[in-house]
Amino acid sequence: MTIYVVRRLLLAIPVLLLASLVVFGLMRIMPGDALTALMAESGNVSPRELQKLRKDLRLDLPYHEQYLHWVWQMVTFNPGRSVFTGDAIATSLKKSIPVTVELAAMAIVFGVALAIPLGVLSATRQDKLSDYIGRLIAISGLSFPDFWLGTLIITFAAIWFSWIPPLGYTSLWESPWRNLQQFLLPAAVLGLRLSAATMRMTRSTLLEVLREDYVRTAWAKGLSERLIIYKHALKNALIPVVTIVGGQLGTLLAGTVIVETIFALPGMGRLTVEAILFRDYPVVQTNVMLVAATLVTLNLLVDLTYAWLDPRIRYQ
Amino acid sequence: MSANDHAQGAARQSMKRRDFLQRAGWGSVGVTGLIIGVSRAPALAHPPSQYPSWIPPSDKPPKRGGILTRASAWDPPVLDPRLTNSVGLSQIATLVYNRLLRYPFSDEAKNDTDLTLKGDLAESWEGSADFKTWTFKLRQGVKWHNVPPLKGRELVADDIKYCYEAYAQEGVQTFTFQEIDGMETPDKYTIRIHLKTPNTMFPQNVAEAVTTIFPREVLEEDGDLKSRMIGTGPFILKEHERKVKVVLTRNPDYFDKGYPYIDQYRILSTPDAATRLAAFRTGQSDHLVLQSLADVETLRKTNPKAVIQEAVTGLAPFGLNLRADKPPFNDVRVRRAMSMAIDRQKQVNTLFEGHAMLGWGVPYFYWQDELPSASDLGPYWQYRPAEAKKLMAEAGYAKGFETTLFYYEYFPQMTSQIQLVQQDLKRNLNIELKITKNDYTTYFGRYAEGKWDGTAWGFQTGYAVSRDERTYHYMHSKSPKNYFRVNDPVIDELATKLRQTPDHAEQQALTKKLVEREHDQVLRMWMPYDAGFFIWQPHARNIGQLALRSHGGYGASTLARLWLDK
Repeated sequence: MTIYVVRRLLLAIPVLLLASLVVFGLMRIMPGDALTALMAESGNVSPRELQKLRKDLRLDLPYHEQYLHWVWQMVTFNPGRSVFTGDAIATSLKKSIPVTVELAAMAIVFGVALAIPLGVLSATRQDKLSDYIGRLIAISGLSFPDFWLGTLIITFAAIWFSWIPPLGYTSLWESPWRNLQQFLLPAAVLGLRLSAATMRMTRSTLLEVLREDYVRTAWAKGLSERLIIYKHALKNALIPVVTIVGGQLGTLLAGTVIVETIFALPGMGRLTVEAILFRDYPVVQTNVMLVAATLVTLNLLVDLTYAWLDPRIRYQ
Repeated sequence: MSANDHAQGAARQSMKRRDFLQRAGWGSVGVTGLIIGVSRAPALAHPPSQYPSWIPPSDKPPKRGGILTRASAWDPPVLDPRLTNSVGLSQIATLVYNRLLRYPFSDEAKNDTDLTLKGDLAESWEGSADFKTWTFKLRQGVKWHNVPPLKGRELVADDIKYCYEAYAQEGVQTFTFQEIDGMETPDKYTIRIHLKTPNTMFPQNVAEAVTTIFPREVLEEDGDLKSRMIGTGPFILKEHERKVKVVLTRNPDYFDKGYPYIDQYRILSTPDAATRLAAFRTGQSDHLVLQSLADVETLRKTNPKAVIQEAVTGLAPFGLNLRADKPPFNDVRVRRAMSMAIDRQKQVNTLFEGHAMLGWGVPYFYWQDELPSASDLGPYWQYRPAEAKKLMAEAGYAKGFETTLFYYEYFPQMTSQIQLVQQDLKRNLNIELKITKNDYTTYFGRYAEGKWDGTAWGFQTGYAVSRDERTYHYMHSKSPKNYFRVNDPVIDELATKLRQTPDHAEQQALTKKLVEREHDQVLRMWMPYDAGFFIWQPHARNIGQLALRSHGGYGASTLARLWLDK
């Protein structure tokens, strides 16, 4: 197992290097830079002044020098400062990561809490009314885009209940109740979407497992339905579900921008997308690398979870 | 039927159509569906709505205290006023800092177009006979905020000199301040500014929202002004959490005694329009801006007591920008033909629900007293496709031509508006417009750099109020703010002469000539625009919105006079 983990970690190095090259290259291909965005609408900045500012921000260096400088910053865990705002990137991340992690965690919990029971219900009551309802919810979750559902919820909450989550962000430690109010709806929006895929996967894998010989044996032994489904069948059916949930967690870390925007939460998504729009190279590069590293780690953790869920799986 | 009735009729008609589309869920069908069956309204340059264009100040005795909250679309990119003119910064900077002069606040103005200059840090000002030297006498006893490193130090003339020199040295204000030849401070409270060329309108330029006075101590200690904002203004910056909130608290030592009325102003970063609307509906935000008449009507169903002011659009910020130094656009006949081939009224009737101006670039109140009628805009602003075709044939382009257009979608209707222009040009002149939509930075980079051919959906910057900025700065061939690349000797001459003309009536007449020349030569092809509606909770007082100065942006300083009746 240890050798396997070490090998996977070593393999992560070329993956991360490749990711760094891609993100660095793509950002340079995009037209415009942070200064252009910063000076936008001012209309009176001479090319000479822009050149001076570019030099101050090292944007005039050859690309390979910029790249090596950035890699060194990554290796030394010192990502530097935003060229757009001048803020330390580490500080920005320290503020935005907890928001996104909390949102992602709540969304996953919400999604799984909705998906697993629905998936089990659908599988055990195949082609019955409850199955149809479960599948309808899953299809709805897949079909409703976040921006539509989020906007709809916030609009109708305001019209019908004269209530929307308190604007802004309050940390969990500062005021748990206010924090819960701020996160509940966005987590539900994200969770509903996530639950769709998880529910469908739970249903189909459980249906498959329920047809296995060992389940038939369990029925023959006269075990209760609850015991057969939850103790014997579900555990095995969950392996592909874990893969999906692990992947969802990775996606959530960078893919919550729309929900963060609608619910005015200052998470990683907004930070990254704004940085892309304003060509804030160091911020984009750092955030993408962080997401890449997180995904690599999550994939490893998911693989290791297989072994825990299914003792037949062994890593050499 | 009066013009007013026509406008309201048009609005009602488009309301029904919109309601239908909303109910049927056909919003995304967009322009094509909307165009069908539109009855042509009379050519109103800016049809009024049923909402007042001015809300007079409250005559009740003001109450002190309370918290004003606003869900804001904008985050300041940086806090350094030398580096950006952004509205996101101005919504804060104009409350924390002061300027030498300012325009009237809501409780001082006679109407929305009152541009009488008032003293801010200066209490009086005077120009020399040749208008090359301006002397400003400062208020005595103005103190910087009582926070380190300023700790309530008195503001003196040297502070103004230092600040203007810094603006001239680098950043986005250089063009304005490089006009200064030298400055003297004969005493602590007097600053004399010598200009390189005469300018009767220089005081207007130092009243612009972007000419705020910052402290030398912060710039010298930090090397920039990106992280601290300490001023002399009515509010002290207490908290700035990027993408979350800005909290401003009342400055107890503010020189304008008794102001501000409110204890705290909270700006909550809310990038999504639907969330801002929901925040207003639920009372989490005291102020809201809506662009569409139909949206205003919908809001009134949940908030019938909301106070609504129609923004009479002083100018159009957007228009078709042509590469006028190259064929085919260097031929004035082509420009005139294109302008006449575009049905602006159709855009007003469909995209703007009957409530928008036809399009002009210099604020109308600088060249006439009343809102311009369609005929005031001249023959080339009228929809005359037959004459347009004839002109194109005369110019040798009877078969049309192909060209490009790039743009950034500043507001939701813009894409549809550009598609309507594309359709008009194709149908009437066989001009094939190939459209590219850019993201903000790509668009701005291309646009400002000027390395493009064909056409662009152009803009003029939003902060400027002064006549000098809107004419000389934006239209003179040598000005870097001349985004439309107007290069016309007559305009140059008129804009320069305007700066040397002290008399108001003569200034109005000269500006009219300049606008007529602009329209005659179609130097900037303005398109319809609607500044929308400003909406307040019923407890807000002294909220009249002034032309070109939004309470949530460049005109935020007036919030020092706002009070809450609750």
